[in-house]
Formats: sequence, C-alpha cells, structure tokens
Amino acid sequence: MPQWFVRGLRRGVVTTRYPARPEPSARDLPGPPAFRAGALSQRSADALVEICPSRALMRTGNVLVFDVGACTACGQCRDHAPEALMPTGEFELATTSRRALIKRIPLLADGEVST
Amino acid sequence: MTALALFGAAAAAWAAAAIVAWLSGTVRAAMRCSCALSILGGGLAFAGGIAALLRGDSRVVSPGGSAVVGTLQLQATSLAAVFAVLLGIVAVAIGLYLPRSRKETSAQTNLYLGAYNLALIASIAVLAAGGVTTFLVAWESMALLCYLLILHRPRSSEVASGAFWFLALSETGFVLIVAAFVILAAKTGSLSLDVIAARAHLVPADWRDTAYLLALVGFGFKAGLVPLHVWLPAAHPVAPADGSAFLSGLIVKLGVYGIALFAFRLLPEGPAWRGIVTMGLGALTAAIGILYAMAERDIKRFLAFSTIENIGIIITAFGAAMTFLAYGQRALWAFLLLAGLYHVLNHGCYKTLLFLEAGVTEHATGTRDMDRLGGLARAMPRAGVIAFVGTLGIAALPPLNGFVSEWLIFQGLFQGFRTHSDLVAILIVVAAATLGLTGGLAIYAFVRGFGIPYLGMPRTRQAASATEADQPVYGPALLAIACVVLAVGAPVVLVGLATAIRTATGVALRPILLPGKLTVIPAHTNFSGFSPTYLTVFLLAVLVVPVLIYLAGRPRAGSTVVPVWDGGMLAFRPRMQYSAMTFSAPTRVTFDALYRPSVSVERASDDPAGRSGPVHYESQATPVFERYLYRPVVAGVEWLADFVRPLQSGDVNLYLLYVFVAVLAAYLIVAL
Amino acid sequence: MTTSPADLTDAIAETGEELRRRVASQFRRSLHIRTLDTGSCAACEQEIRLLAAPHYDLHRLGFFFTPAPRHADLLLVTGPMLRAFAAAARKTYDAMPAPKIVVATGACALGGVYQPDAFCFGSADEVLPVDVWIPGCPPSPLALLHGLLVAVDRLAEKVPSLSFTVGGTA
Repeated sequence: MPQWFVRGLRRGVVTTRYPARPEPSARDLPGPPAFRAGALSQRSADALVEICPSRALMRTGNVLVFDVGACTACGQCRDHAPEALMPTGEFELATTSRRALIKRIPLLADGEVST
Repeated sequence: MTALALFGAAAAAWAAAAIVAWLSGTVRAAMRCSCALSILGGGLAFAGGIAALLRGDSRVVSPGGSAVVGTLQLQATSLAAVFAVLLGIVAVAIGLYLPRSRKETSAQTNLYLGAYNLALIASIAVLAAGGVTTFLVAWESMALLCYLLILHRPRSSEVASGAFWFLALSETGFVLIVAAFVILAAKTGSLSLDVIAARAHLVPADWRDTAYLLALVGFGFKAGLVPLHVWLPAAHPVAPADGSAFLSGLIVKLGVYGIALFAFRLLPEGPAWRGIVTMGLGALTAAIGILYAMAERDIKRFLAFSTIENIGIIITAFGAAMTFLAYGQRALWAFLLLAGLYHVLNHGCYKTLLFLEAGVTEHATGTRDMDRLGGLARAMPRAGVIAFVGTLGIAALPPLNGFVSEWLIFQGLFQGFRTHSDLVAILIVVAAATLGLTGGLAIYAFVRGFGIPYLGMPRTRQAASATEADQPVYGPALLAIACVVLAVGAPVVLVGLATAIRTATGVALRPILLPGKLTVIPAHTNFSGFSPTYLTVFLLAVLVVPVLIYLAGRPRAGSTVVPVWDGGMLAFRPRMQYSAMTFSAPTRVTFDALYRPSVSVERASDDPAGRSGPVHYESQATPVFERYLYRPVVAGVEWLADFVRPLQSGDVNLYLLYVFVAVLAAYLIVAL
Repeated sequence: MTTSPADLTDAIAETGEELRRRVASQFRRSLHIRTLDTGSCAACEQEIRLLAAPHYDLHRLGFFFTPAPRHADLLLVTGPMLRAFAAAARKTYDAMPAPKIVVATGACALGGVYQPDAFCFGSADEVLPVDVWIPGCPPSPLALLHGLLVAVDRLAEKVPSLSFTVGGTA
C-alpha cells in the first residue's frame, strides 16, 4: 500500500472547518500591521512612507493614510519602527468597497512626545 | 423475370454504355447518355439482386462456350444476390455522380467510362458465375479493368505506382485463387460450383483446409486483409473519386464474396481453427486499419484505411460464424453470416458516399489535404449534410445503418460462451474486445475526418472559396437516403437477408429475429434486442423535450450575441485551429510502437526557440508492411531474377542448345 | 420636496448594494471560478491552487474551478493588469455570461506594488469592474476562502469595522 495512504489514515481528517469554526493556525499568518495611535511623529511617519516598497503609506497633515490593499506584509515598516507597529492576526480582509481598505492613523502632533 | 435475365439485361445496358462512351467523341450529350445507360444497368442489377434474394438459388444456365475456354456457367445464388444489390446501388450512385464531375469530355474520359462499364459487367459476371472458369475469367477481367480505372491520369509517377501495387497484389492473389479452385475441381471432379459444393465431403481434410487457406489469402489480397492490404492506401488516393468509390464500395466486397463463397458455400464443414484464424485475421485487420487511418492527412488515404477496418469487421463476423458451426451452433452460424452481409451492404453505401464527397471536395478546393480545408459545411451546405449522414453511418452511431450491423455482429460475438470450450470462448471475447477498440477509434477518427474539413474556419483561401454550384449531388444524396433506409427499415432488410440466408445455409432465422412486433432479438432470446425503427422514432420524439424546456425556461430578457471564445487571442487566425495531426496526436502517442514515426527537425540557426528562424518539422509513420514484408520479398525475387539472368544471354547458339536439351529430355521421359 | 444630491448618491449606492447582494446570493452554494493571471508573479496562483487541496477543500463549499469563461460565474483576477493583457482580460470578462462577479486579489491587482506605467495599468479595476477586493501578498487560502464567501454573500465583511489602530481613538 502506498505510504501516504497509511499516513493519511493515521493522521485523520486535516481539512479545516473554516468558516463553520475559527481556524487557529490563522493567527500566525503574515498580514498587514496595526499602528499604535500617537506613537509616530510626522518625521518618522515620513521615513516609513519612504521605505514602504508598495506605496501603501502616505501622510496628509497629521494623519498617516494606510492602504491595507496595497500592503504586501513585507515587514520593512515594522523593522524600522518596531515600537509603533504590531501584528493584527487578521486575515479576513475581503471587502466590496475599495475605500474601506484605506485606513487613517492619527500621528503625534509636532512638539508632542509619545507616551 | 428471373434474376439471371435481369443480370443479363444489366450487362447489356452496361455494354451499350461502354460503346456509347467510346463513340461519343466530345459530344457531351452522348456522355450523359452513356451514364444514363449505366444507371439503367445499375437499376436492373439491383432488381436482379432483390429477385435472387427472394427466389433463392436458380439453376445453372450454360449459354454456351467453347472447348478451349470451357462452358460459360451462370447462376444467381442468394449469397451473391446481396452483393448484386450493392452493385446496383453503387452503379446508380456513381452513374448519377459522373456527368457533373467531368467538366470536359475528352478521349481520356471516354476511355475511362468504357473501362468502368466493362468493369461493372465483369463484376456482375463474378457474382453470377456458376462455374470455376467463368469465375476466374470474370475475376481477372475485373482486375485488369480496375487497373485501367486507376490509371486514369497516367502522367504522374504516383499514379503509376499506385496502379502497379493494385495490379501486382491482384495477380498474386489470383494465383492463389486459381490454386484453390484447381484443388477443389480436381478433388471433386467438376468445374461447376454447385457440384463442388455438393461433393465437398469428398475432398480429403488437409486438401480442403489448404484450399480454404489459399482462398483466404488469395481473396484477402483483394479484400484488403492485413498484411495484404498495401495496395489500398497506394491506389485510392490516385484514382479519380468515382474510381476510388467503385474500388472501395464494390471491388473489395468481391474479395469478401470470394471468402464467403469458400467459407459458407463450397467448404462450410471444417475444423474450428479455420474460423479462429479467420476471426483473428479479421480483428487484427480492423484494429490496424483504423490505427493507420488516424495518422492520415489525405482524405482518400484515410478513407482507404477505414475500408480496411470495416473489411476486418466483416471477416471477424465470418470467422466467428465458422467457429460456431464447428461447435454445432447452426443458428449462430447463420446469424453472424447475416450480420456480416448486412455490414457489407451498409459499408458499401456509406463508403461510396464518403469517397464521392471526397471527390466533390477535391473538385471544389483543389486539395485532398485535411489541413488545408475547414468550414466546408458552411461553404457547401448540401455536401456537408450528406457527408454528415455518411460519417454518422460509418462511425456506427445510432440510429444509422452502421450501428445496426455492428450491433448485430457484437450480439453474435457475445454468444461465444455457447461453444462450450473455454479457450474458444476467450478468443471470441478477445475478438469482440478488439472490435470494441476499433469502434471507439472509428468514432474518434471520423470526428476528425468530418470535423477538420467541414467544421470550423477555412484554413486556406482555397477552402474559403469552395462552392458547390455545379457539383454532383444526386449520387451522394441517393446513397445518404439508402443509408437511412437501411437503418430505419432494418426489419425489412432483415426479412430479405434472412430469406437469402435460409436458401444459402438452410437455417430459418426469421422467426427468431422478428417475432411478432418487428423487434430485432438477435440469435437467442436471453440477449437484449432493439428495433432500429423504434429507436429512430424514439430519438426524434426525445429531441422534442429539450426544445420544450428551452421554450419554457428561456430568459425573458434579450440575449446578447458575443464573439466565439477563442482563448482571448487578439488575432485568431484559422491556422491556429486544431489540425488533423494534432487532433489524432493522443492516439499516435499511445500507439507509438505501431507507427514508429521518423521525425526530422531542421532549424535555420542554433539560436534558442523563437529566434531561430524557420523550423522545418517532418514526421512520417514507418510503412511497416512495405518495408519489412514486401521489400524483402521483392528483393528476393529480384535476386532470383539476377541469378537466372545468365540463362537469357541473348546468344542464339545458347538458345538452340536449350531447344536441343529440351527435346532430348522429352524423348528420354517418354521413353522411360 | 427635493432630495439633496448626497441623499441621491446614498440611495443609488444602497440600491446598487442590494442588487449586488441579489446577484451574489444566486451563487451561494454553487460557484464556478475562472482564474485570470494578468501578469502576476504566480504566488497568488500557488495559493489559489491550494484551495483545491485537502487542507482547505474548496469543493465542500460548492465552489469549483473551470477553465472556460463561458461556464464561469466568478472571475478571480491577479496581477497588475499588464497593458499587453488588457484586451484578453476584457475578452474573458465579456465571454462570461451574466450575472457574473469579479474578484481582484493580491496587492498587485489592488493597486499596490506597481505604479501605472508604460507596461501595466497598476490595478485590475482600470480594465474590469471589480466587485470584491481581497488584499494579501499573497493572500493565504483562508483569506481567499473568506473573500469568495463574501462575494457570494455567505459571510459578512469585517474590514470596514477594523481600524488598524491600537490605543487612542480611531
């Protein structure tokens, strides 16, 4: 008998139960980051905008505009400013409206110090 | 009128047609008159065949002869009647086809028409022959006249080669046929076929089997059994379309008639191995025939190989019949003979039809190459419909006639277990499986054979500019109607054939086949049956249902017309369609060991693909039989000829020495 | 009484959304998907291929892949829509019978990674009317499953209510 057949019998059913039940392995999937509100100054935000290879970040005034759709989860922004970004664990990001993927994150105003 | 009288009248009409053709010069009306006489002869032959079918064996008529050639003996047997019916249909169809297919009347056309009509006379003489000499003379005349038919356009070397293959193999077969007949005539002491049949039990067993094998091989050359078939793909493409139709529609059937004559009339009783060998040869022929057909681009070579396949099916049925008789199953013996004869009729009709349509295509587009055609069903709608009927028939799809006869053959083969011998039953099942493979491949091959030239888009300008104005249509249309009649009217056809079988074999099949309600139940009541008439009506009725569903459920909003999905290509060119060779590529790859293709690829430069410039690709299937069987034989004959050449030195003195030695030897032999 | 332009726009958007829902709900448990690669790096294709594997098993949801756009209900587009491919993409879309859904997936098709230039449009909706967007680079098979289920109205969208901001007010 082919080995995979025996192996399969031993392992049992491995099909995911999603969407009926949540899938625990999804926690570790790479995905777009979440930003700490008020953790970035305008200058550091500009630096992040500069290094994002996919142009998912843009700064207008005191707001960092984050295009979730354009994010490739490369991790450059997290490496550059690790204290300001964290993983979300979200993978259910589909939407019918492109605008819903454009998120606005408030930045530190000039002169303020991050808490 | 008796059947023989009708045959005689047919021969007279054809003789008149030949004379009119020779004398017609360039007068077109005279050529039409000749064709009309040919059609009349065909009708008379058809009527004579029907008469012989229904009335049974007539007595032998000897209208004279001479002491040199022997008496001319004629007899209309019911076995030959089936072939005579086919001859009539084919003659009428070709007669209708001829006038429009020959645009100008020239000396060449007149000679051709004369030879053709004489060949028809020779064919009816073969079928009506009651004695050995009559048969042999008629056979040889038929072969020589067909050689003239093939040589219609002698300028090209291909034509000469094809005609020569035909003649050479025909003559080789003739030698064996003569040997077989001589054995029988010597052992039974008579030249009349009836007497030989009656005295067959006097022939010692080994002489009898030798005679049968000689006849099988000898007639097999004409019928096209593998490996004796090589003249078919050589001769058919180069003969004119109606010549090819005549060859495939009738002449190979005369080979089948010869085998049937020996197997069922002259030497019916015999050991089982005769039947098994015949059946095996037939199954092999069928499989190899269709496999080679798949690799052909030339429409006529393709149809020639398909003829070989169908002849294989018929011979398999005959072989199985003989096997059943050896085990005492007389009903199955007669039944498979009937199924085989039915297939002879069917194949004659649709193969002639397809060859005539190939002629129409060649005329309209100037090419026989499938890869240069396409979209002909739109350019030539009537030809498309007629060719479609023929394709359905030859692919053995219900409800047409090919399905009926192949179904009956399969039903007969499935009864193999009734021989009560395990080995034989297994062999019969293997033969049935081979026929099953053949049937599947035949559908594949004819989807290709109809789809590539007739469907899709035209691949060349010649195909795009094809037109069917001025093309012959009545001949092929008549054959298409005959196909449908043979299918839907199967109960009637079976009545006629069963009557003929009853006379030929003494077995009454009619009560088994057609109990009460005209339903066909083959050979044994434990097996399934069907009625082609019911099937046709049912299929037509069932087609109403999807129409009703569509009418009831179609969307209320209007539908949009969008272009055909072509894979998203921007500029879809017709040459991007399936070609004949790519369509059959899966088969050719699977059966690579049979084709042994020799492939040569030449690039203009060594740059990688895409930048290398023009690439020349050539692939050719190895002609296995020509190379490994015939060429060594021919080489052997040539070597032998070289060996004895010194005897013919041209020196008169040496020849005088030969004369002296011969006289001395004769004197010594007489004296001793 | 007059309705303001803003009210009209909202009303139209609502009707459009309802229409989309009704179309999508036709395919709830039987959907035929045709994938279209407009010039991607094939990472999205690898994830899409995995959907048919036993771990994710697309077929248990009633979704199937089909190569023929004539049999397809949903067009799954990846890649930045190369200009050389745009005509073929449009032809594929036109060959699909209505009603049909277009789903763009992967950062390339959503407008990231590549700017519009001489070789590409940059995002799929320059050429095709996209109904559902699935971000990711590449989107995991689970994300694709979620996106397809959103497209046939079996699952609700989450992203509009996500803020991607931690702490403070969004």
